[in-house]
Amino acid sequence: MQSGALAAAPPPGVSSEGGGEPIFQARELTKVYPSGAGEIRALDGVDLDLFAGELVVLLGASGSGKSTLLNILGGLDTPTAGQLRYRGLDLAGADEDQLTAYRRDSVGFVFQFYNLIPSLTGLENVALITDIARDPMAPETALELVGLGDRLDHFPSQLSGGQQQRVAIARAIAKRPEVLLCDEPTGALDVKTGIQVLEAIERVNAELGTLTVVITHNAIIADMADRVIHLSDGHIIDLQHNRSRRPASSLAW
Amino acid sequence: MIRPLDRKLFRDIGRMKGQMLATAIVMATGLAMMIMARSLILSLETTQERYYFDYRFAGVFCDVKRAPNALRPRLAEIAGVAAVETRVMGKITLDLPGQREPADGLIHSLPEDRPQRLHLLHLRRGRLPSAGSHGEVVVGEAFAQAHGFQPGDTIDGVIYGARQRLKIVGVALSPEYVFEARPGDALPDAKRFGVFWMNERELGSAFELDGAFNNVLVDLAPGGDARAVMAEVDRILQPYGGQVAYLRRDHPSASRLEDEIRILKSLSVAFPAVFLTIAAFMSSSVLTRLVRLQREQIAQLKAFGYSSREVGLHYLKFALVIVGTATLLGGLAGTYLGTNVVQVYHQFFKFPDLRFHPHWAMIGVAFFVSSGAAVVGVLGAVREAVRLPPAEAMRPEPPAQYRASMLERAGLAQFVSTSMRMAFRNIERRPWQAFFTAFGLALATGIPIVPGAMREGIHHILSVQWDRAAREDATLSLREPGSASALAEFEALPGVQLAEPFRSVPARLRFDHRSRRLAVTGLPREAFLKQLLNAREEAVELPPNGLLISAKLAEVLGVQPGEMLRLEVQEGRRPTLEAVVQATITDYTGLSVYMEIDNLRRLMREGDTVSGANLKVDRAQWDRFLAAVKLAPRVAGLTIKDSLRKSFQKTTGDMIGMITTIYFAFAIIVSFGVVYNSARIALSERSRELATLRVVGFTQREVAGVMLGELAILTLLALPAGLFIGSRMAAGIVVMASTESVRMPLVLLPSTFATAVLVVLISSSISFALVSRRIRQLDLLGVLKARD
Repeated sequence: MQSGALAAAPPPGVSSEGGGEPIFQARELTKVYPSGAGEIRALDGVDLDLFAGELVVLLGASGSGKSTLLNILGGLDTPTAGQLRYRGLDLAGADEDQLTAYRRDSVGFVFQFYNLIPSLTGLENVALITDIARDPMAPETALELVGLGDRLDHFPSQLSGGQQQRVAIARAIAKRPEVLLCDEPTGALDVKTGIQVLEAIERVNAELGTLTVVITHNAIIADMADRVIHLSDGHIIDLQHNRSRRPASSLAW
Repeated sequence: MIRPLDRKLFRDIGRMKGQMLATAIVMATGLAMMIMARSLILSLETTQERYYFDYRFAGVFCDVKRAPNALRPRLAEIAGVAAVETRVMGKITLDLPGQREPADGLIHSLPEDRPQRLHLLHLRRGRLPSAGSHGEVVVGEAFAQAHGFQPGDTIDGVIYGARQRLKIVGVALSPEYVFEARPGDALPDAKRFGVFWMNERELGSAFELDGAFNNVLVDLAPGGDARAVMAEVDRILQPYGGQVAYLRRDHPSASRLEDEIRILKSLSVAFPAVFLTIAAFMSSSVLTRLVRLQREQIAQLKAFGYSSREVGLHYLKFALVIVGTATLLGGLAGTYLGTNVVQVYHQFFKFPDLRFHPHWAMIGVAFFVSSGAAVVGVLGAVREAVRLPPAEAMRPEPPAQYRASMLERAGLAQFVSTSMRMAFRNIERRPWQAFFTAFGLALATGIPIVPGAMREGIHHILSVQWDRAAREDATLSLREPGSASALAEFEALPGVQLAEPFRSVPARLRFDHRSRRLAVTGLPREAFLKQLLNAREEAVELPPNGLLISAKLAEVLGVQPGEMLRLEVQEGRRPTLEAVVQATITDYTGLSVYMEIDNLRRLMREGDTVSGANLKVDRAQWDRFLAAVKLAPRVAGLTIKDSLRKSFQKTTGDMIGMITTIYFAFAIIVSFGVVYNSARIALSERSRELATLRVVGFTQREVAGVMLGELAILTLLALPAGLFIGSRMAAGIVVMASTESVRMPLVLLPSTFATAVLVVLISSSISFALVSRRIRQLDLLGVLKARD
């Protein structure tokens, strides 16, 4: 491990990356789900800071808590205990309306199964979001950014999986969110299209400076990150700093 | 031991109970209507049949001026006759304490020297007049009830000009007065009209008909030829002033009851059929959705070795649960409604025992018909699911295919918002689902128009027909046609401001092979109190020659204006006349024929004969007028317009109130059910889409808006269609309910339409709001992980 040292003094998730104020600040973040007779501690006291413009990969086996962490960061779920601040907003204590507004204005989501609206074309899927955003880019611009400037009027059923996922990325970033959260964005794709999708994410991160968090259990993807966070049993067991990011196009699995 | 598959059935039902119940209730509504109408028909028909048979209701009737009792055996010997009854029958006027208006009625003789053969009385209370008694009468139940008369009470009546104190000894029903109303009246007025029975000898001498009769009842033998019997009766009675014999279908009470049954029959098919179609589609869409959701489970069951038949049967059981619930609810509701409608019928129809008989066979038929519909609806989805090889079925369904909607292809894309585009495309992808949702909503919009139109129709009759056409306050009729002096007498009555004579001549009207018995009414050319209205409801003047006849009569006889009608007059020297139908007139009760009075008199070869007069009476002298009428010996009857109007309003008011309640309830049920079902299916089919919208920052309200778009479009399409359907239904009902006794104009007001739209919008909004609360419960996390 290149980063063993960093796991020591400050808590594993907290670093001084970028030197500025962190966008997210999590302390003792805990999520407990009731399960049958007992309970599952999906997150167990996680401390983590995330900074503007960085690309972070969350690695972990299924059940490690990485999805729970992403859901809580994205305002889809609230922690059972602990603190989580997004800039001035207390995400741990936010109500439904605040969370909705937070998701609407600040977060872009990319899902494993794209989740496009089947009755809308690629362009319209993006426009659906830009219609309600505060400062969106043109939907066409967003689609060009992910390399789909020529497929604007295709319905999801007329697009390949990789193309659908790139529409989903365009939809996520068209509102210029501060945070882009990607949950297994290549999980349903083959290598070639998976790489294309990662390139799109990489480009968005670079050109828009969006804090990007990618969940994956594909360790190879970690090479394109600034930081790699390893989760297991609800704990951050390792935090790794890449000296240099590998371009997505050079990845292979 | 419950099989595991049935356990699954119960649990699945538990989860989808809302939708299954909504479907079952719509289906139950159709079944309730069908069961109610069919049971009422059964109740009325069996009760009527039993009553007519047990109490020997005659098949042929004939009035005669005066025929000797010795003719009775001759009439009885006619081939095809089972029994004959002769009797004395006439008008009676009554002076009732505590009632300012005089009442009148018909009084009939009861044989003393022989057993009564026909029209037996059903005694409710008391007894028949004892032999040789004096002044004892039995009174009809409706009249007795209206006045609270009991055996032992006395009333004062005028029979044939002679005032007499009558002692009530019994209260009874007769099969000839199931509809106990003045012959020719559209509705009963029990306060002012009653029927009575008295011993034959006493009544005979009162009418100066000792040893004679003026009314004949004939019971036909099985297989007896009614026409031949009637011809023979006519031949025998002709020398004695016999009128033309007529059949039951011309009998005022019997025909009225037949009309009612006919209306019920037409209602019992069309309406339920529409409800059941919608319900069949609802159950089909609910269960198709269920089968689609359970594709993987079906594959697993098949992989475990369950046969396609077993799996198919399992899903058909859902349909049967819906239909079973619907039949139970429909049976209960139909029985409940029917029991209430029977109560209303008691106001109109008097039977010894009219009870609601549930039509069990029909409930069975209802179950099978709706099972059939539901099974057909589900079969497609089940077949599709079981046909898939298990391995394929375990894979998710391929993604939904969409394309640009027609609106966008037509180049209107820029006018349509994104969520509206979704809505249009969804509608085009599932055109049938959209069609039936819209159709259900259209039907729901149409339903409240029917009672609205009825209410307005009745209001129209009251205002136009009874204020503009009939301007008189009262109508007096003479016991026997009289001369100009009678008119002078009427004019001299206190308070009478205007008296317009009329001449009424009983006749049989013939055109081709069709005929009707009624009275030809002669009116002065420039009659003011009685206005005849054309189809546009403008007053028309009587032509100097020829006839004006009810449009309904023209329809019944198949006669057109300009054609010649034959009038077989039943009075005086009984001439057979011919007259041209000049035009038809619009009226809403009974059948009428009008002729200019002098023209009629000329044809009858008589002078200034009058049968009665229409009167305008000074309200301030009303009581004095009534008191004077009670004492006028020549008056046989007084009709008071206000009293008729009140009775009309009261009886129809109750009925319309009930119909309105039922129809509004049906409209609410259908719109609520259709919207609920449609929204739940949309929520289920699009849960992933809607959850995604929530995840990316749409508020609940915005997500509901996306869901609402589709329903809003369908509702907008459905409302005008519904107003059209409702207008057609109302028109259809007006046609169906257009009988020879009563008719209704089709009156459709903007307020009726507005109410219908409002009812549907409110109930579907509530229904939608109920479903959209579930948007809150969308599983935002689960949906992101799940495949489609």
